[in-house]
Amino acid sequence: MTPADMALVLCGTVALYAGVRVALEPDTLRKLPFLNVLSFAITGLIALLLPHPLGIVAAAAYFVGSTLESNAIASTYAGGLDRG
Amino acid sequence: MDTVLLTTVHILVAAAVCWLNFITIDMFFKLPEKGGVVGATAIARHIEAGGGSLEGGTMMGNIVSSPDASAGTLLAACGVFIAGIPGGLLAALLVFIGNRICHDRGYAGTTGCLTATFLIYGFTLAGFSAAEFIAGMVIAILSIQGISHVYASRLLSTIWKVRWG
Repeated sequence: MTPADMALVLCGTVALYAGVRVALEPDTLRKLPFLNVLSFAITGLIALLLPHPLGIVAAAAYFVGSTLESNAIASTYAGGLDRG
Repeated sequence: MDTVLLTTVHILVAAAVCWLNFITIDMFFKLPEKGGVVGATAIARHIEAGGGSLEGGTMMGNIVSSPDASAGTLLAACGVFIAGIPGGLLAALLVFIGNRICHDRGYAGTTGCLTATFLIYGFTLAGFSAAEFIAGMVIAILSIQGISHVYASRLLSTIWKVRWG
């Protein structure tokens, strides 16, 4: 088993665990840190499965996109922008 | 079997290195001080309502809301795994763009990515694989965001108070 294989297994396991925690957490805003862990694990999986220079762009694009979504969900839930 | 054991030890060492890198840089850039966006502050208040600590919760909210040093460390590991130091530098540029997309004016993510790139490259010279750092960073973020928000936020607050009073 190579280091990359072990990293793949670990990232996959953490992603599954984080997915279960997101589903079980009742408080919407407290789901988001678990969702953050899920994004980290999936970003790792993308880079490990796509060892090509564009794989870095794909991993970063996925991560920034999912972070922006969490940011938007949290800000909307908190009342959105203060447009006074 | 020996390679599995060696890789496991390497992943644990990598997790500790990644943890120290992102906590140090996030504390240096004062992430626990205030929420970068209203969403981060709201997450902090919910973590505090659940029994956690406000400063630690604010840092966790900031980590969720914009790519910080932890995201920088992960993407640096991905970059170094795929293309060595140039890959890590490309990742730093992408984190910088990601910060701007997420309305974050700070430099914690970019700085964390640059320090992690050279740190991880140094470890690859000592027999580590960058893939072990990807797994290590996933474990490091799991320890903060994915196990207990109450205890993680209290731990972060303690570190913050020791560092900045």
